[in-house]
Amino acid sequence: MTAVIDSFRGPWCIAVYTWREGMRKKTLVGFLVLSLLVIFGSSFMSSFLDPSAQSDMELKLIKDICVTTIAIFGMLITVFISASVVPTEMDNKVIYTVLSKPVRRVQYLLGKFLGVQLIILVNLALMGALFFLAIYLKQRILPTLLLWSILLTYFQFIIVSAFTFAISCASTSSVLPTIGGLFIYITGTLTEYLKDVFTRSGQTGELLDKIVGYLAYALYNVLPNLMHFDLKDQIINRAPNDPPTDVLIPNLIAYGLLYAITGFIMSYIIFRRKEM
Amino acid sequence: MERHQSVSAVIETLNLNKIYEGAFRGQDVHALKDLNLAIKPGEIFGYLGPNGSGKTTTIKLLLGLIFPTSGTITIMGSRDISSAKVKRNIGYLPEGAYYPDFLRGEEILRYYGKLYGLRGADLEKRIDAAIELVGMTHARKRLLRGYSKGMRQRIGLAQALISDPQILILDEPTTGLDPIARKEIRDILANLRNQGKTLLISSHELLEVELISDRVGILFDGVVQTMGTIEELLTEREMSIEVSGASEEALTRLSGKGISVEDYTGEKMKLRVPKGQSVYDTLELCKAEQLTIISIAPRRETLEELFVRVVGAAEAERRQAV
Ligand SMILES: Nc1ncnc2c1ncn2[C@@H]1O[C@H](COP(=O)(O)OP(=O)(O)OP(=O)(O)O)[C@@H](O)[C@H]1O
Ligand SMILES: [Mg+2]
Repeated sequence: MTAVIDSFRGPWCIAVYTWREGMRKKTLVGFLVLSLLVIFGSSFMSSFLDPSAQSDMELKLIKDICVTTIAIFGMLITVFISASVVPTEMDNKVIYTVLSKPVRRVQYLLGKFLGVQLIILVNLALMGALFFLAIYLKQRILPTLLLWSILLTYFQFIIVSAFTFAISCASTSSVLPTIGGLFIYITGTLTEYLKDVFTRSGQTGELLDKIVGYLAYALYNVLPNLMHFDLKDQIINRAPNDPPTDVLIPNLIAYGLLYAITGFIMSYIIFRRKEM
Repeated sequence: MERHQSVSAVIETLNLNKIYEGAFRGQDVHALKDLNLAIKPGEIFGYLGPNGSGKTTTIKLLLGLIFPTSGTITIMGSRDISSAKVKRNIGYLPEGAYYPDFLRGEEILRYYGKLYGLRGADLEKRIDAAIELVGMTHARKRLLRGYSKGMRQRIGLAQALISDPQILILDEPTTGLDPIARKEIRDILANLRNQGKTLLISSHELLEVELISDRVGILFDGVVQTMGTIEELLTEREMSIEVSGASEEALTRLSGKGISVEDYTGEKMKLRVPKGQSVYDTLELCKAEQLTIISIAPRRETLEELFVRVVGAAEAERRQAV
C-alpha cells in the first residue's frame, strides 16, 4: 500500500508544479480574464444600464452568451495548456532534470496530465462561479442546473485534453498539438453529421457511396461525440434549478474517462521511448 | 579481467553505439562507436573531447534520456538504469540547462528533492546543506528569473547534490562561471570525491580537469582515443629554458632552428627544447643570441598539449580515410 502511495507522490509533486507554472502563462491568464470580463459584462452591466429592461428575452441572451463564452474560452484554455506543458519542458530542457530523477516516464506523464487537469478545473471553476453568481443575483434561485452543466463540460474538456496531450508528446513545439486539439474539438462536436452521412449514403446503392457511408459510420462510432455533454439549451430555456434531463450523467462521466484514459495511454506509447 | 572490471566499475558501458537517425538515408549520425567506459568507484573521471565528439550523447544515454542503438550500460551493477533504485544514487547537471524560473532558488531544490523522495525535515536539511555548499544562501529566496548565468549553474549543481547521491554526472559544470567560482566549484568537486563519491565530468576546461581528475578519457568522433590516469598519460617530459632580453629577430632565428616560445611574461619568456635536441645545444644557441638565462626546468606535457596532439592525430587520420 505504501509502495502504491509512494509511486503517486512523484506525479502529484509534478502536477502541483505544473499547475503553479501553468497558471502563470500569459496566454492562459489572457483567456481567463477575457472570459470573466465577458461573463461579468454581459450579466451585470446590462442591468446597471437599464434595470427596468429585465425581460425574459434578455435573460436568455445573457445565458446564451455566458454558456458560449465558457465553452469557447474553456476549450481554448484546455487546448492551449494540454498542447504546451510537455513541449515547453522539452524545449527548455527542464525535462532532463526531471527525468533523470527517480521518476519513471509514465509517472512524469501522469504528473503533467494531472497538472493540466488541475489548471482546467480551476479555470472552469472560476468562470462557472462568476456565472453562477450572476444567475443567482438576477433570479434569486440557486442555479443547480449550471453546476451539472459545468461538471459535464469538464468531462468534455478532459477528452479533448487527453488527445491534445497525446499529440503534444509526439511533437517538439506546441503549434501542431494546438491545431490538432482544435481539430479534435471541432470534429468532436460534428460527429452527428457523420451519422447523417451514413443514413443518407445507402440511398443511391452505389459502391463508393456505401463505402463512404460505412467509413462515416465507423468514424461516428470511434470519435468521441462532444455534443453529448452539452446542456446549453436546457440552461437557456429552463429554470435554473431544474434537474438535467435527457442525459445519463454517470454514463457520460464514464464515457469521458474512457476516452481520456485512451488518450493518456496513447501519449504513453508515444513518450515511452522518445529521445530527449 | 573483463569480469573483474564489471564488478568494480560504478558505471560501465560495453560496446555502446548510438546512431541518431536522420530524416533521409545518409544523414544518420554515428555519434558513439563501440564505446567502452568503466568509471571506478571514488574517482573523478574527466570526459574530454572537442565539440560534437559525443560527450553529451554518452551522458544522456547513461541517464536514459536517449536509448542505445546497441550495447549495454550497467550502473551500480544494474542493467535497469531507469529504475528508481539506480536513479536515486545519481545526481545530474545537464549541459546549459534551464530551471523553472518562476520559482525561488530554494523552491527549485524543494521540487527536485521531492522527486528524489525526500520529505519533511530531512528535505529541508538537505536543501540548506546543498545551498550552503554552492554558496547560494544569500540568494535562496530570490526568483530564478533574476539569477545570473553563474547563479543558475550553481543552483543546477545544488539540485544535482540534493539527494546526496553516490554518483555525480556533470556536463560542463563550470561553463559560464568566473575564475573564483570555478575554483570554488573545483574545491567542492574534490571534496565530494574525498567523501567517496564517483564523478563523471565532461568539460572543455583542460587545466581544470587536469587539476582535479584522477583519470581522463579523450573522445573524438564517438571513439575514445586515449584513456588513463593523469600520471599515465602525461609522462612525456621536456625541458624548458626561461630567458629574457630576446629581440624579435633573435626569436625568428631561434624558431628557424626549431625552438619555440611557449610562454611570455613581459620581458621573460620560456623556450622549449625541441625533441631530439640536447639542452646543451639549445643553450649554445641562446648564448649566441646573447640571451640572459634565468632558469632551466623540466616540464611535463600539459593535458592541453596531449589533447591537441591526440585529437589532431585522430582528425588527420579521419581526413586521410575520407
Ligand atoms: N538529437 C540529435 N539528433 C541528431 N544528431 C545529434 C543529436 N544530438 C547530437 N547529435 C550529433 O551527435 C554528435 C555528438 O554530439 P554531442 O552533443 O554528444 O557532442 P558533445 O561532445 O557533447 O559536444 P559539445 O562539446 O559541443 O557539447 C554530434 O555530431 C551531433 O551533431
Ligand atoms: Mg555536450
